Amino acid sequence: MGERASVAVVGVGHTRYGNMPEYDAYDLGALALKQAIADAGLKFTDIDGLIVNRIPDYQRFCEIAGLDPAYVNTTPGQGRFSGICIETAAALIRSGAAKTVALVYGNNGRSSGDRYGGAGDTYGSGGAGLWFPYGMTSPGAFHALMARRHMALYGTKNEHLGIVAKTFRDHAALNPAAVMRTPYTLADYQNSRYICEPLHLFDYCLINDGGVALVLTSAARARDLAQRPVYLRGYGIATALSNSTFPPDDFWRSPTREAAANSFRMAGLTYDDISTLMIYDNFTPTVLFSLEGFGYCDVGESGAFVEEGHLAIGGRYPTNTSGGHLSESYMQGWALNIEAVQQVRGTCGARQVADCHFAHYMAASPVVTSIIYGREQS
Amino acid sequence: MTTRPLPSIEGPDKPFWLGLKQREVRFQRCGDCKTYRFPAARLCAHCQSENCEWVAVDPTGVVETWCVFHRQYFEGLTVPYTVIQVRLRCGIRLFSNPVGIQADALRIDMPVEGVFEDVTPEVTLLKFQPTKGGLQ
Repeated sequence: MGERASVAVVGVGHTRYGNMPEYDAYDLGALALKQAIADAGLKFTDIDGLIVNRIPDYQRFCEIAGLDPAYVNTTPGQGRFSGICIETAAALIRSGAAKTVALVYGNNGRSSGDRYGGAGDTYGSGGAGLWFPYGMTSPGAFHALMARRHMALYGTKNEHLGIVAKTFRDHAALNPAAVMRTPYTLADYQNSRYICEPLHLFDYCLINDGGVALVLTSAARARDLAQRPVYLRGYGIATALSNSTFPPDDFWRSPTREAAANSFRMAGLTYDDISTLMIYDNFTPTVLFSLEGFGYCDVGESGAFVEEGHLAIGGRYPTNTSGGHLSESYMQGWALNIEAVQQVRGTCGARQVADCHFAHYMAASPVVTSIIYGREQS
Repeated sequence: MTTRPLPSIEGPDKPFWLGLKQREVRFQRCGDCKTYRFPAARLCAHCQSENCEWVAVDPTGVVETWCVFHRQYFEGLTVPYTVIQVRLRCGIRLFSNPVGIQADALRIDMPVEGVFEDVTPEVTLLKFQPTKGGLQ
C-alpha cells in the first residue's frame, strides 16, 4: 500500500490573477514558488528537481530563483502539461531521481497580448497554418466543431453548456482570488455574443496573467513538513496524438477511459469515493466530454447530467469549485490542481466541499491526464 | 488587393496545390499499405514505410461537423463564415468551407463533393457543395 501513494503535494502557491504588465512569466512563477516553498515549510535549497511550464527558459529561472537542482526541464505552454508535469514529478520522486520537486508555472499571456486564433495560432499538430485559407483557426473553433457534433449525435443543447458556465461563475463568486465573480443568468449566457457558433463568449476560458507553483515530495518526507500532506493516490495518462489535427471521433473517450481506469485502480477507489471534480475547462464542451469519458455519466448523457445540478457546490460532484478557467483564472490546469489540494486540505472557506477526502483532476485533450488526490495515504 | 490568408504552395504539399489548380485532388498514398495521408510526411503513420506516391482521388465524402465563425481572425475573410470538417472516401479529413448551402441546412454525414475555387492566379482552394442528387 506504500507504493499506492508514495508521493504527496506538500506546498502550493499562487500569485494574484489578472492583468499585471509589470510582471513577466519568470516573475510570476518565482513569486508563486516562493509562496509554495513557504507553505511547505521548506527552503529553496531543499528543491532538487524543477520543471518550469510556460516559462521560457529553466536556466534563467534558476538564476532568478537561486536554484541548482539535480533535475531540470522546460515544458511548453499548453494546458495538457500541468497534469504531465505533476505525473512526471511523481515518477522522479518514486524513482529516486529527485527528492523534492518544484513545478513552476508563469503566464503573462494577458498583458503580453497572447491570442489564440489568427495568423499566430499554433494550436494543434505542427500549427494550423494549412487551414487558415479556409478561415479555420483557434482551439475554440476546434471545440466548437466537437460541440456541434455532440449536439447532432446526442441532442446536447446550448443551455447545457450554459449551465456549466453559470455553475462555475457561481463558484467563482465564493472565491476571493477569482477574476470574474459576478453571477449571471442562463439568459445572460444565451445573450452573450457568439465567438465561434455554437460557442458563446461565456463558453470560452479567460486570458489573464498569473503564476502557480506546487512542491511535491515522498510520503515519508511529507509527514515532517508544515502542511497536512495531500497524496497522489492514483494517476494515469493516455494519449490520442496520431491524427490529432482533427477532433477525435470519440470525444477522447478511449484515452480518457484508459487514464481514469488506471488512476482509480492505482488509488484503490471507486467513483462513490470521489468528493469533488476539477475538470480542465478550456471551453465548456470539454467538461461534457470529460464527464462521459472519465466515467461520471454515460455516453451522450452529459447534458442531462449537468441539468440535474450535480456540478454545483451542494450537488453530488461539485466541480471547479474555484470557478475554473472560465471564471477564476486561465492557469492551464495548474490552479485547478492547487484547488484540488486545498479542497482535500479543507482550507477552501466559503466554497469548501463538506467532508472532502478525494478530489479528481482530469484533462481531456490529445494528452489525457487523470489525478486523484487523497487525504489519507491508503 | 486581397489580404486573405493564403497557403504556402512551395512546400512539401506543392503537388496538392498544383493539383487543385489543375482541377484534381492529389494526396500522398503509401506505396506499401496504400493509406492516404495529408499534409505531406516522410513516413506512413500506419506502416512507417517511406515509399509513397502522389495520386488523384475522388473528391467526394461526408460532412462530419461544422462551426460558424463570428469573430474575425483574418483580414479578408468576412464574418460570419462557416467551416466544415469533411471526411473524403479515401479516408483523408479536411477543413474547408461549404458552397451553395447555409449553415443551418448542414447535417452530420451529408454527402458532399469538391468544388475548385481560384482565389489568386497561383492558389486554388478546395471547397465542398452538397452532392447533386443526394446520396450516391
